[in-house]
Amino acid sequence: MLRYIAKRLLLSLVTLWLLTTIVFLMVKLLPGDPARSLSGNTAPESAVEALRIKLGLKDSFFAQYWRVLKGLVTLNFGHSWKNQRTEVWSGLVAPALFRSSKLAGLAMFITAPLAIMAGVIAARKRDTLIDRGIVMVGLATSSIPEFVTGALLAVAFGLNLHWLKPIATIPRGASVITQLHYLLLPALAMAIVYFGYIARMMRSGAAKALESDYVRTATMKGLTDGQVMRKHVLRNALAPTITVMSVQIGYLFGGIIGVEAVTNYQGLSTVILNAATNKDLPVLQYAVIVIATIYMAATLLADVSIAWLNPRARLDLDSA
Amino acid sequence: MTAAVDTLSAATRERRTARRENWHLLRRRPSFIIGSLMSLFWIVCAVLGDRITPYNPISYTTKPKLSPRSGHWFGTDKIGRDVFSRVIAGARDVLLVAPAAAVLGVVFGTVLGMIMGYRRGWIDLLLSRVVEALLALPVILIGLLILTLADSSPFLGAITFHSRKVLVIYVVALLFTPIVARTVRSAVIGERELDYVTSAKLRGESGAFIMTREILPNIMGPIVVELTVRIGYAIFTVSTLSFLGVGIQRPSPDWGLAISEGRDLLRAGFWWPTTFPALAIATLVIGVNLMADAIQSVYDR
Repeated sequence: MLRYIAKRLLLSLVTLWLLTTIVFLMVKLLPGDPARSLSGNTAPESAVEALRIKLGLKDSFFAQYWRVLKGLVTLNFGHSWKNQRTEVWSGLVAPALFRSSKLAGLAMFITAPLAIMAGVIAARKRDTLIDRGIVMVGLATSSIPEFVTGALLAVAFGLNLHWLKPIATIPRGASVITQLHYLLLPALAMAIVYFGYIARMMRSGAAKALESDYVRTATMKGLTDGQVMRKHVLRNALAPTITVMSVQIGYLFGGIIGVEAVTNYQGLSTVILNAATNKDLPVLQYAVIVIATIYMAATLLADVSIAWLNPRARLDLDSA
Repeated sequence: MTAAVDTLSAATRERRTARRENWHLLRRRPSFIIGSLMSLFWIVCAVLGDRITPYNPISYTTKPKLSPRSGHWFGTDKIGRDVFSRVIAGARDVLLVAPAAAVLGVVFGTVLGMIMGYRRGWIDLLLSRVVEALLALPVILIGLLILTLADSSPFLGAITFHSRKVLVIYVVALLFTPIVARTVRSAVIGERELDYVTSAKLRGESGAFIMTREILPNIMGPIVVELTVRIGYAIFTVSTLSFLGVGIQRPSPDWGLAISEGRDLLRAGFWWPTTFPALAIATLVIGVNLMADAIQSVYDR
C-alpha cells in the first residue's frame, strides 16, 4: 500500500514536470512577444527592450527553461510579469485558490448528498418511471454547458425572482451569510452539472450491489431494508462514485471557467484566463500546476479511499 | 489464399448482421428517437440558416432591446438584430465546427491509440505519460490556453473569420486526442494477444496491415461509441470557447457568442437575448447526448 502511494507520488512529479514543460513550450513556441503584449502596442521600443532584459527574455532558451524548472522545484515562481510587485503565489494564485475552493466546496456540499440519494432511489425503483426520470434529468443536467446553466439560473432566480445575486462579486469584508448569498448561484450551476455524473455512477453501483449474492443473503438472514442499504449497498456502491466525485473535484477547481465567467467570480480559472491573455508565464505556470496537483491529489485520494472501503481493491494496489 | 478470403468475407458478413441488429434495437428506443428529432431540428436550421429566417441574422433591422412581441417572437438584441433569426442561424457554425472537430479528434486518437497499444515499448510509455499529463487539466482550460496564446501572436491572431473556425476545429480535435487515444489503446491491448492477430503475424503480415485490416474492424464498436459521445462534448467545448471569446468570432450568430454578448444586458433586466440561445444550446446537447447514450447502451449490451 505504501509502496503504491510512493509510486503514484513519483509519477505525479513526472506529470508536473511534463505539464510545466508543455506550458513553457506553448508560451515559447507560439509566436508572439510577451514583453510587447505586456507593455501595449503604443509603448516605445526602448521600453519594451528594457522589459525583455528585465524579464530575462533575452537569455538563451535553455537558461529560461532552467529558470522555470528551478521555479517548479523550489515552488517559487517569483513575481508576476504583468504586475511586477505582485508575488505569484501569495498575491494571485493563493487568494484565487481560496475563492475557488469555497465555490467548489459549496457545490459539492449541495450536489453530493442529493445525487447519491437520487442514484440509490433510481436503483431501487429500477425501470420504473421514477428511475427513467432520474436518469433523464441526470443526462440532461450533465450535458448542458455550465455557462448555459448559469445564465438560465441568473434569468430565473436572479432576475425574475430576485432570490439570488446574478453577479458573484462579493463586497469586501462581507459576512459569511452575505458571501453564501453571492456564491449560491455559481455553486448551484456547478451542482446541477455534476448532479448527473454522480447520480449515474451511484445508480449503476447500487443496482449492481442490489443484484449481488451478499445482498440477497443479508436480506434472507433478516436484516431490515435500512440495514441492508447502509451496510451492504451503500458501502459497495460508493466506491465507483467516489472515484467519479474526486475526478470532478479536480474539474470543479479548473473546469468551471464558464461559471466563473458568467457570474464574474474571480477564481483560479479567471486568473489563468488573464495570465494567458497577458502571456504572464510565471502566473500561468503556477496556476496550471496548482490545478493539476489538485486533480492528481484527488484521484490518488480516491484510489486510496476505495482500497479502504473495499479490501479486494487493496490486493490490486499491492501488486501494482 | 481462397480460404483466407472466405473467412475474411465471413467476418465481414457477421459484422454487417451485427450492425443491422444494433440498428433495429436503436430504432426501438424512445430516447434515441427523441434525441434524433431534437438534433435533426437543429441540423435543418443549420443547413437552411438565413434562407428561412424572417430577418437578417447578422445585421440590425429594427430598434434595439425590443421585448418579445409579434413580428419579433424572441425580441431584439442590443443593436436591434432579431433574436429569433439569430437563434435559427446560430446553429450553423457550431454544427459545422463541433462534429468536424469530433471526427478529426477520433481519427487522431485512434491512430495514436493503435500505435501505442500495438507497438507498446518506449513509445507507448512516453505517449502515455503525455496523455496522463494532459488529462490532469480540464479540456476547456487547455483549449483556452492555446487559443489565447495564439490570439496574442501577430501571425495567428491576424487570421480571418473562416480560418478561425478551422483553427478551432484543430484545437478541439487536439484536445480530444488524448482521451480517445486512451480508450483505443486499451481496446487494442485487449485484442492484440488474440489468436487472429497471432495468425496474421505468422502469415507474415506487416504491422500496419494488422492494425488497419485486422484489429481496427474489431474495435469499431468502442470507436463509434467514442465518436457519438465526443460530438456531444465537442458542442459543449466549442460553445464554451465561443462564450469565452476565443472560439467562433463575431459577427456569427453563434449561441455561445450570443450569450456572452447578452450578459451585460441581462444585468439590466433584458433576459431574452441570453435565454433563447441558452435554451438552443441546451436542447441541442440534450438531443445529441440522448442519441449517444442510446448508441452506447446498444453497443455495450
